[in-house]
Amino acid sequence: MAKESTTIDIGEPSTVTKSTSHAVVDEKKKSFVTAAAGGGYKRGLTIFDFLLRLAAIGITIGASSVMFTAEETLPFFTQFLQFQAGYDDFPTFQFFVIAIAIVASYLVLSLPFSIVTIVRPLAVAPRLILLISDTVVLTLTTAAAAAAASIVYLAHNGNANTNWLPICQQFGDFCQTASTAVVAASISVVFFILLIVISAISLKRH
Amino acid sequence: MKNESTFIDVPAESSSAMKGKAPLIGVAKDHTTSGSGGYNRGLSIFDFLLRLAAIVAASVAAGTMFTSDETLPFFTQFLQFEAGYDDLPTFQFFVIAMSMVAGYIVLSLPISVVTIVRPLAAAPRLLLLVLDTAIMGLTMAAASSAAAISYVAHNGNQNTNWLPICQQFGDFCQKTSGAVVSSFVAVVFFMILVVLSGVALKRH
Repeated sequence: MAKESTTIDIGEPSTVTKSTSHAVVDEKKKSFVTAAAGGGYKRGLTIFDFLLRLAAIGITIGASSVMFTAEETLPFFTQFLQFQAGYDDFPTFQFFVIAIAIVASYLVLSLPFSIVTIVRPLAVAPRLILLISDTVVLTLTTAAAAAAASIVYLAHNGNANTNWLPICQQFGDFCQTASTAVVAASISVVFFILLIVISAISLKRH
Repeated sequence: MKNESTFIDVPAESSSAMKGKAPLIGVAKDHTTSGSGGYNRGLSIFDFLLRLAAIVAASVAAGTMFTSDETLPFFTQFLQFEAGYDDLPTFQFFVIAMSMVAGYIVLSLPISVVTIVRPLAAAPRLLLLVLDTAIMGLTMAAASSAAAISYVAHNGNQNTNWLPICQQFGDFCQKTSGAVVSSFVAVVFFMILVVLSGVALKRH
């Protein structure tokens, strides 16, 4: 067994040598370093998420209350049509009011989770919970908005083939208010899509 | 700067053995058979299968609505005696939207295959999640607006004098209702797909 001996010059103190070696970095330290570097980015995203939630709360409460108060009473009598129109004349609009109200209360309840993700940018569980429940609520919002939109379209244009008359000719005010509520709900749908994308991007950077 | 000299014995034969005992540093990122990679691969395979099922659901919905014509064998003086999907603009939107959704899922199959082959890649999954969310919104919009019109067709509306046409066109109504149910099933599939992508992204 041949042994070789050699001289190695240790030029610098060993602590400096250790700090310049990149080789032995375990996984936790690596992720911590990247998080500290990208922490500003993520925190900005979560703050934007929080602001979007506040805006979505405002819009959904607005949509639900506008539809709720969309009544009109005509000053004259006709022998065919009823002279009063309200949201409870249409089961679809009833569903709209209830569903958007549920969505607004969900958003209020999700604000603490959003604050937790701001305070703890590395926590994964709150983000995942928010992603899943945002997806479900997005579906509910889209359903309410689209169903109400189709009824509003029918009320505006009628349908010749099924003999459904366009009631907006008589109830212009009611139709306008209902259309405003539907537009507001559609905007909240866009907000929800943005919220889901933000949660996904935040999850990715772990 | 202090210069220290020392003697280090480097045994010639055991240097390779010492190298072999060195701890593993610098874990390769793209090895595909680690624990987390295997779990992600399982999620990707389930994702792919769900997409195949969603193609079936979306194309069944579009096809059933498209072929839901009915012609009544008798004449009435008030109502038309023919009913088809193109008599209602909402159903036209439904057919077009569900066809687009089916086409999108077919086009997203290669990206899903990429996530199976490379389970630890984050970019394809993120792309799929964003696109799936948008398409899920479109599917839900088509499904629920057609459901609202179907509801009016089945029950009518006393306050607006909209008569329930399903009394006359029973076959047409049945087929359109079946198409609406199939599109809601497609929406459920999309929800599961979005959640899957989110869970898979978490595991990086």
